[in-house]
Amino acid sequence: MLFNSLSFVVFLIIVMALYYAPLFNWKNKKRMLLLASYTFYGLWNPPLILLLWISTVVDWTTGNKLVKEENQRKRKMWLLLSMVVNLGFLGFFKYGDFLLENFVSLMNVVGVDFQAQPMDIILPMGISFYTFQTMSYTIDIYKRKIQPANTFLDFALYVTFFPQLVAGPIVRAKDLITQFYEPKRATVNQFLFGLFSLTLGLFLKVVLADALMASTSDAVYDSKDILHFWDAWAGTLAFSGQIFFDFAGYSTCAIGIALMLGIVLPDNFMYPYASIGFSDFWKRWHISLSSWLRDYLYIPLGGNRHGITRMYVALMLTMLLGGLWHGAAWTFVVWGALHGIYLVIEKLLKSSIKIKINAFNGIILALLTYTCINFTWVFFRARSFETAQNVLTSMLYLNPEGKAIIGGFDLLKVFALTAILFFCHWFMRNTKVETVAGKTPTWLLGVVWAAMFVLICIAQGTGEQFIYFQF
Amino acid sequence: MKLKKSFFIALLLSVIALGYWEYHLRSQGYIAVIDDNKALWAETYKKVQKASSEDVVLLGSSRVHFDIQVDTWEKKAGIKPIMLASDGTTPTPVFKDIVNNTDYNGLVVIGIAPGLFFTPNSRDVFFWNRAAVRLEHYYEGTYAQYLNHKVSIPLENSFAFLNGNEEDWNDDVDLKTMLEQIRIGERAQSPIPPFYNFAKVDLDRNVTMFEKTETDTAFANTIIKVWHFLGKGAPPAIKEPVIELYNELIPRFEARGGRVVFLRNPSTGGTRFGENMAIPRKDFYDEFLKQTNSKGYHFEDYEQLNQFDCPEESHLYTPDARIFTAELVKIMMNDGLLINTKTN
Repeated sequence: MLFNSLSFVVFLIIVMALYYAPLFNWKNKKRMLLLASYTFYGLWNPPLILLLWISTVVDWTTGNKLVKEENQRKRKMWLLLSMVVNLGFLGFFKYGDFLLENFVSLMNVVGVDFQAQPMDIILPMGISFYTFQTMSYTIDIYKRKIQPANTFLDFALYVTFFPQLVAGPIVRAKDLITQFYEPKRATVNQFLFGLFSLTLGLFLKVVLADALMASTSDAVYDSKDILHFWDAWAGTLAFSGQIFFDFAGYSTCAIGIALMLGIVLPDNFMYPYASIGFSDFWKRWHISLSSWLRDYLYIPLGGNRHGITRMYVALMLTMLLGGLWHGAAWTFVVWGALHGIYLVIEKLLKSSIKIKINAFNGIILALLTYTCINFTWVFFRARSFETAQNVLTSMLYLNPEGKAIIGGFDLLKVFALTAILFFCHWFMRNTKVETVAGKTPTWLLGVVWAAMFVLICIAQGTGEQFIYFQF
Repeated sequence: MKLKKSFFIALLLSVIALGYWEYHLRSQGYIAVIDDNKALWAETYKKVQKASSEDVVLLGSSRVHFDIQVDTWEKKAGIKPIMLASDGTTPTPVFKDIVNNTDYNGLVVIGIAPGLFFTPNSRDVFFWNRAAVRLEHYYEGTYAQYLNHKVSIPLENSFAFLNGNEEDWNDDVDLKTMLEQIRIGERAQSPIPPFYNFAKVDLDRNVTMFEKTETDTAFANTIIKVWHFLGKGAPPAIKEPVIELYNELIPRFEARGGRVVFLRNPSTGGTRFGENMAIPRKDFYDEFLKQTNSKGYHFEDYEQLNQFDCPEESHLYTPDARIFTAELVKIMMNDGLLINTKTN
């Protein structure tokens, strides 16, 4: 089920009515939320709920064994079991075809005439998210950082909680499971701010991502032509805006819906396009993934504890795997590699050049960071290296005779929205929506809220899937 | 934060703004219409799975969709046909699916719009792909999509401002389409003339052409321009692979008791002239029927079907479509292809 769909509106009304009606005690409310979460997921593809169940049962069992087991070797075996099951599912469903395709290519390169039919495996929605979430639970118990969930119900709800099930935020057990222990009920202000966040998230997705940005990005990246400089930039900036509005929109909806239930989810985006440097970017973009990669990949790989060279290797490996997490294609690996290279260069520069950031050089550096990030989005969006090369060369003005496919108004729309997006991020980079809303006059907040809602209705989204569902 | 107050201000302003927008659109002539989208088509296709040998399935492109009025058919033949004709598609992939994946063994009427019908049997072909997308939705649509469709119907039926259409007509009033109509300068202008919606569909997928298509010549001309543009850019028609495929499908369908007839609906003016030039009846339609040993109804062969003028050269105005349907049913009854299930 998608947040930007009419069926979800009906679903949410029913869930809220059941949650706040004096029908159930807290335990039964959690059961209701769990059932609602399975319904939310199953309305897409019911059999794939089985994967969720397997993941839930395996990590619940592993967590309980890990906390009791003292034998280090056995503890490792239990951890390994969880990793094999979770990563096995992820590997098979997400990377099965990719691995097969690359194996066939490799065989052909070494002269073995080997052909294989693609397996056409369905990618279970949100598998990358809930797999990482359950793995963090097990690893944290293994490291004795947390205790297992009090009950199976609490754990199952943690794995399946519908607001963040299919596209995050990837919430750590300590931040979410403990919230299920005591009855939760949103205050009126929390409920309404949750509703405001839901409206804001849908506005970002339905109006800004789908209605305003998607068509330009699709036109450029689906084009077989060599494009003109302005068209290539418009397509890339449009995608840069689209993916932010789409994903931040989803996270904002998820946070808002959870808040309406009295549950607090962590922020996932902190105005990333105003980042000063790439390490700052990764503290602001998809925060729950980048912190997961830091804690469960970068640090175990050695982090910065074993010298500079090892640190750079760990950084590059983390970013390469982070790229691959986003999709089973080499273009995503290149995207991750570029970010890794950016981070390494930044660390090298920072160790030799000291810059005191002020308002003036800050915005210049943020703009420079944003520009560099746009080059990485080319690989993220392009379905082939040929397309990426065409767009990149056009962006670098190497195809002055390139074809113009984007109309004058669309160019203006994309460049204007990009400028607004960048400056909004810049002015909001040290604050939060909640703070700004608190300082805004009541009537003005009402007007903004109404404007967003009316535009969502007029946009009449066609229920476009969120981009991150495919990851 | 006084969110309660802000919420009520937002609620009030939203109701006022949307109410005004609805009023404004209705004053511009917009009405509440159902989107003839893949979900509605898939819902209709479900009926084929349960259909008996007495049922009639209508396949084709927009000409069958516009020209056959299902209520008139029901009045004359006693049974409401299942309308599966889809605008801008070739019926072949749907017929293929009926033969391969259903047990249906009744009558199938297949419209032949020459420019769409005599095209390669491939998903790379626009008309085939559009039909395939609908079939795909039938097989792969999720329960969530099904629910969305069900919830959206009463809303689409009530509000003119919810008229965003899967077809992306130039006069749709969703935000994206409205913005797409704004032009600045001459950069990268689309060569396709603007294409405006000229009909509405109901839950049975029965089409009613807007009155203005008949009464407003300037409006009708905008649609004619689109047909001429598409006609000029169309690849050469081919018949061999189409004949080959139908020669494989028809005997299998008939072997289980099914019957197939083909129908060539009227076209007029420049569109008919273009069709006659590029896809001559003798070489294509007649040859197709001969080689597939099939029965067909060509409007030119029946005085009662050849008396209409299409307002935009390609489809019948609804009052004419009712007469056309009644006459066609009568002819088919005389030929023994249909019996009135109610009177018999």
